[in-house]
Amino acid sequence: MSMQALNRLVARSIIDPTVLQSFGAGRIGDVLADLKFSPEMRRSLSSLQAESWCEFAVQAYRIVQAAEEPVVRIQLPSPMEGLLNEGRADQEQVA
Amino acid sequence: MNPITREERRWFLRSLAFGLYEYLGAVAPPIPVEGLLKHPPSLYQDDFGVVDMYSTLWDATFARPPNRPGSVFVRIDLPPDERRLALARELLSALITSRHGRAIGLVEFLMPDLKESADYFARHLLAPEPLMEAYRHRGGGEDGVAEAFGLPETSARLRWKESAALL
Repeated sequence: MSMQALNRLVARSIIDPTVLQSFGAGRIGDVLADLKFSPEMRRSLSSLQAESWCEFAVQAYRIVQAAEEPVVRIQLPSPMEGLLNEGRADQEQVA
Repeated sequence: MNPITREERRWFLRSLAFGLYEYLGAVAPPIPVEGLLKHPPSLYQDDFGVVDMYSTLWDATFARPPNRPGSVFVRIDLPPDERRLALARELLSALITSRHGRAIGLVEFLMPDLKESADYFARHLLAPEPLMEAYRHRGGGEDGVAEAFGLPETSARLRWKESAALL
């Protein structure tokens, strides 16, 4: 959702001068408030320091992308799985 | 800031193209790129224009003569699909060097890879992702992209691959 909002913001910035005006005046938070960013993301993006709008956009992209990447979980096998397999192996041997 | 990656630059270019597509309000291809250059958003009133010219040197080039609005100078005898692509490609130069483009930092951001950026931008302006999605939903395939979007064949195939990679 945040990436869609960021896409809209950058798209808007190319035809709407008020985006750049707000950024230049340190009030980009006002613009972000109109878009579907979570409050936490809005705070993160509002606090970015950038020398140009393009630089801000790329920094924002990195933050949003990192937030939207799925969390990688280590998949450990259940201890029960090992016991069950051993049981089956025993049965096969008996047979 | 860390150097900008190709992926980041391409995301940014797609967003710029999407902004212009939304401004145009096009609901179906072909995207009227020549209309955009002749009747630009007020922000670019002094930066966009089209001038037909006789030339065998190039298909199109953007120039900003002193004290005159910038224009894309385009070869008069180009086939329609090549003309559209050339105009869309040069539109990026018009954006970058415009007052607004300079103010948002496009020069530093896109000039180092201008050719690659311009080609990518042109493909995404002429075949915006929402229209590509709609085309796919209607059962359109790779072979029909050129005709549906008014793109030269090579660019159409590249655009199809780019769209598939974005899925």
